[in-house]
Amino acid sequence: MQTLEENPHNIKINLAKILTNLLHYLLPWTIPTLIIISWQLASINGLIESTILPSPWQVVQTTITSLQSGVLEQNMAISLYRALSGFVIGGSIGFLLALCTSLSQTLNLLLDSSVQMLRNIPHLALIPLVILWFGVGESSKISLVTIGVLFPIYINTYHGIRSVDSNLIEMGHSYQLNSWQLFWHIIIPGALPTILMGVRYALGVMWTTLIVSETLASSAGIGYMSTNAQSFMDMSTILMCIMIYALLGKLSDLMAKSLETSLLNWQIKGGMING
Amino acid sequence: MHKLVKRLFSTIFLVFIIASAVWGYTLTREDSSSSLETITIGYQAGDPIDIAKTRGQFIKKMKKAGYKVVFKQFQNGSAEMEALASGNIDYARTGDTPPVTALASGSSITFVAAGSSKAKGSGIVATKSSGIKSISDLKGKKIAYTSNTSSQYMIMQVLKKAGLSTSDVTLVDMSQSDASVAFAKGKIDAWTNWDPYTSSAELTYSGAMIVTGTTVGASNRDYIISGSYAKNHPAASKALIKYLGQDMTWANTHKTKLVKMMTKSLKLPKKVVERMVNRRSYSLKAVSTKATSEEQAISDSFYTDGITKKKVKISKYVLNLK
Repeated sequence: MQTLEENPHNIKINLAKILTNLLHYLLPWTIPTLIIISWQLASINGLIESTILPSPWQVVQTTITSLQSGVLEQNMAISLYRALSGFVIGGSIGFLLALCTSLSQTLNLLLDSSVQMLRNIPHLALIPLVILWFGVGESSKISLVTIGVLFPIYINTYHGIRSVDSNLIEMGHSYQLNSWQLFWHIIIPGALPTILMGVRYALGVMWTTLIVSETLASSAGIGYMSTNAQSFMDMSTILMCIMIYALLGKLSDLMAKSLETSLLNWQIKGGMING
Repeated sequence: MHKLVKRLFSTIFLVFIIASAVWGYTLTREDSSSSLETITIGYQAGDPIDIAKTRGQFIKKMKKAGYKVVFKQFQNGSAEMEALASGNIDYARTGDTPPVTALASGSSITFVAAGSSKAKGSGIVATKSSGIKSISDLKGKKIAYTSNTSSQYMIMQVLKKAGLSTSDVTLVDMSQSDASVAFAKGKIDAWTNWDPYTSSAELTYSGAMIVTGTTVGASNRDYIISGSYAKNHPAASKALIKYLGQDMTWANTHKTKLVKMMTKSLKLPKKVVERMVNRRSYSLKAVSTKATSEEQAISDSFYTDGITKKKVKISKYVLNLK
């Protein structure tokens, strides 16, 4: 009797499956890899002047030396501290504000238009005010990140809660759920996908505002490293910082994605029961 | 099983992220245990304060005198002026122009000390391809400068000397880093700036210095500026001037060591730093009448050209330490 594995037809299918899987893993990296290879080749051939744009290899060397001296790790840790504390503070404020405005009509009328006005102020325009209010220490940097993170979380939470299916809420009422149960078992799960979208967006904003905030009277952090290098045209350090931003961006996205899969498990489970 | 591994990995990852953030937090804590009075000084990379900071003697001497010094690095003079106005820093080292515009916009600042002239290292550098040989060739060319810095005064003085008006040339207001790239790529014909950017433009991008501050009387001195702090703490100001002055004397007599130190801290090519250091001298002392009149000239010229809206008498704002 033939087992499944020995069937040549099945082996073919398995091989095809492995190949498609491999392609799935490799395809996202093709464009970055091609760019880096052609950039390195252009640098070697002298098509790109090294004073204008150093080669990827030079950037790698700069990264290694800054890692060895411990400067890079310290600056990254400091940036991470600023980013995370700003995210936690701004995220909580935005979330609570959105709860207020989406669950109470009075508070909505009172607060929402003010938030919408504040939302579109560019962060750069706020720097002089931030210096005046929070000084040039850590609090000014964290508060800028807070402001940046607050609005995406606010808007998505608000929108998420507002657009929960009214039939579901009605159903909750007919099951005689009290308002806490209604909130916890129907509104929050219903709004969660939109809220998490806000989290994902806010994580991106967190890094960009952090970089802006670290240009202000700073002596540490990734943003400081890059602006300091910029003022003396230290191109390889600038490029290293750009690479780090890209990496951090990808990392935050991964974090948000894993948060989504673990928190939105109920959707998948529900789907399985229905199916 | 697969799920468990995934969960384990994300937990480890999360712990790692939080641990790094906590480490970052401990790194930002400044040692506040000492009973010394804290003085916060704003500076820019590569300036006299940076020299004093990197050398390390200044902090020790100030500590003996009873002051704990904290340094804050800024990108430009206007940010320093904002921080001074809000009382977040006590002293700031700037070029000659930011204090003038700050005074005209109503900030109450004080000139505490002045440095020596940097006229030889400040000026206009032309690209090789522009064909500019002298200041009269500037007509019709694209010239970069940075507003609210000494380069704004410089370009105005040079144009006056050449008998040109601002409409005879194309002036572009650019940050130092943007102008640097534009100069290297030949997108601008000339660049008004100061050391180490001028020496870098000359040596790295083979530009030619067509005019310096010496010709047009623009000294571009360093100034130590304070808000109300200097007036209320004369002893601190005296100690600051004395010890910074000692570092400047050291800088003048140990130029080889200085070049080595600055090459490392600024990450610039050695020849660029060498040229910068060798065409200037270092000093920091009480503001002389000559320095005051130079600042007055900048202030007057900015007022006549409509850059500032208020006439200011500079000598009223010079600290008198007796």
